[in-house]
Amino acid sequence: MRIFRNLKQALLGLLRHKGNTVLMTLGVIIGIASMTVIVSIGEGTKGKVLDRITEMGFGPDSFSVLAGGGRLFFPKSQNVTSLTLEDADDIAALASVRLVVPHQRETMRLVYRDQNTSTRVYGVTPDWILSRGWNLWDGRFLNADDMRRKTRVIVLGATPAKKLFPREVDPIGKEIRLGQVFFEVVGLLEEKGLTESGYDPDDRTLIPLNTSMSRLFNKTYLHSIKVMALSPSLVSKTMLDVTQLLRRNHGLSPIAADDFRFITPEGIMEWVTQSAQALNRMLVLISTVSLLVGGIVIMNILLVSIRERIREIGVRRCFGARRSDIISQFLFESIFVSLLGGMLGVGLGLGISIGLQNFSPIPTRVTWEPFALALFFSTLVGLVFGIQPARKAAYLNPEETLR
Amino acid sequence: MNLIEMRDISKVYKNVGFETRVLKGVSLHIQKGEYVSIIGPSGAGKSTLMTIMGCLAQPTSGVYILDGEEVEELNDRELSNIRNEKIGFVFQAFHLLRGVTAFDNVMMPLLYCRKPPKDAKRIVEEVLDKVGLGHRMHHTPGQLSGGEQQRVTIARSLVNDPRIILADEPTGNLDSKNGAEIMKFLDQLNREGRTIIIITHDPTVANHARRVLTIRDGQIVSDHANIPQSQAGAVGASAS
Repeated sequence: MRIFRNLKQALLGLLRHKGNTVLMTLGVIIGIASMTVIVSIGEGTKGKVLDRITEMGFGPDSFSVLAGGGRLFFPKSQNVTSLTLEDADDIAALASVRLVVPHQRETMRLVYRDQNTSTRVYGVTPDWILSRGWNLWDGRFLNADDMRRKTRVIVLGATPAKKLFPREVDPIGKEIRLGQVFFEVVGLLEEKGLTESGYDPDDRTLIPLNTSMSRLFNKTYLHSIKVMALSPSLVSKTMLDVTQLLRRNHGLSPIAADDFRFITPEGIMEWVTQSAQALNRMLVLISTVSLLVGGIVIMNILLVSIRERIREIGVRRCFGARRSDIISQFLFESIFVSLLGGMLGVGLGLGISIGLQNFSPIPTRVTWEPFALALFFSTLVGLVFGIQPARKAAYLNPEETLR
Repeated sequence: MNLIEMRDISKVYKNVGFETRVLKGVSLHIQKGEYVSIIGPSGAGKSTLMTIMGCLAQPTSGVYILDGEEVEELNDRELSNIRNEKIGFVFQAFHLLRGVTAFDNVMMPLLYCRKPPKDAKRIVEEVLDKVGLGHRMHHTPGQLSGGEQQRVTIARSLVNDPRIILADEPTGNLDSKNGAEIMKFLDQLNREGRTIIIITHDPTVANHARRVLTIRDGQIVSDHANIPQSQAGAVGASAS
């Protein structure tokens, strides 16, 4: 095949002009390496965020319904009293739902003797611990008996436990006061530690939902309902069903806005990654520029090398090379150089990424994507920046090239 | 039958502001198997005539018929095929690919054949043997003498078995001994039936041909038969 003969000529040409070849390859290596590093940093950041969300208690199969409409993380707009236990029961009855945990929530002051601290108090059902996959450090969790009898028992997170009780005192069995009501500490949650963003998951306490409704908060509406679907793939369908169900239960007219909103792992993720994305975008810009520089290096060197090889082109034309032969020879040269640079660049980039992983706090994750990207972009660079020199070479006047 | 037929060929180079008329109505016929020199002082238009004959450039006006085909109507692909199949070039400055072995230099025209021969290697070795370089075919031009390099270009011009050899000052960069040897090869090729066209300003070289065209100021001023001294021995004597 003619094209393979041109390819072979291109490879031989690269071998004969090693200096140019090395320079061109270097240009691409730098571009592709920086792109690889940036992709792996981006992936690493995303991975970190995902881990954090999972820590927050959102597996891929779960989401939360929050009372009040509006957008996630923005002040809720209206009617925060409409979400009720009946809604929770109705959601639990849906075929695709595995588990439902209704929540009430208030921030309250806790007092033990002369110590006091302010923390989030959640009224939840005993299923909470299942839905979160959180372990107890000591004592027991809330149970069905607590719910039925509306007992005044409380499970403490690590932060309020530390603040209220000196190290030598075992909090289990002690009475603490919330507002005017005394609660007995029956369990302690395992400590999770601060997240990267400074959120303290341990700053919480849990009491039975029935107790919170009738003895502490004295209200019957819910703050939120955590829903776990049977499988991650059922989440979006379940959310649709829940929307319909709640709109019907709340008697919303078709044009009225929802008086509830969803928290999904994706939703949080999107929100958390937005700031990371701004950084990412800048990094992508930088790597694009460096790739562009690599391409321009190729183009310049090719143009110079065409000056040097003007005779070669002329002779080839004299002996029957068509314009298309010359174009394909030079295009093959630039594409091959870019591909080679791409491969080496990915290697270098992966090396740097692994180095960053081990020797710096910058999170990176090595994925297959840089390989595909490098393959794609380096070919593109070779094509785009090779076509002009190749055309130039082919359209040189053969009679002039031989003077 | 005319192998080359030129009717009223002119060539004008346009530069910024002025035009240079290099060829002013050249008409000529060359038969198959002829041995022709085109002689003239520098600037007379010899090289331009050669580029047009070699299908490297199109005339500004006039008709050029090569082996029955009107060249003006051909596109790049067809012109390339003609150069590949019908014409072998020999240049004053050799124009070998640098850093490429003699073998690969001679192989080069075969890369651009419409149907590359199966026994390309054997053909290349044969033509290199023919010019007496069978033992040096894996040397690069830098490792060969000027005379050897010009022999490689002759091998290269022959490898596609063309009907016409176009030689532009083939001895211009060589000493007289090597020049004589190259002329010997060209004489021999003509005896084998190939059409040889030599462009030169050197009367000694021109004297090898059986027909001498003189060109001056872009026009053919004389066209006469010549009795060559093509015996190998006599060439060296006349060149020195």
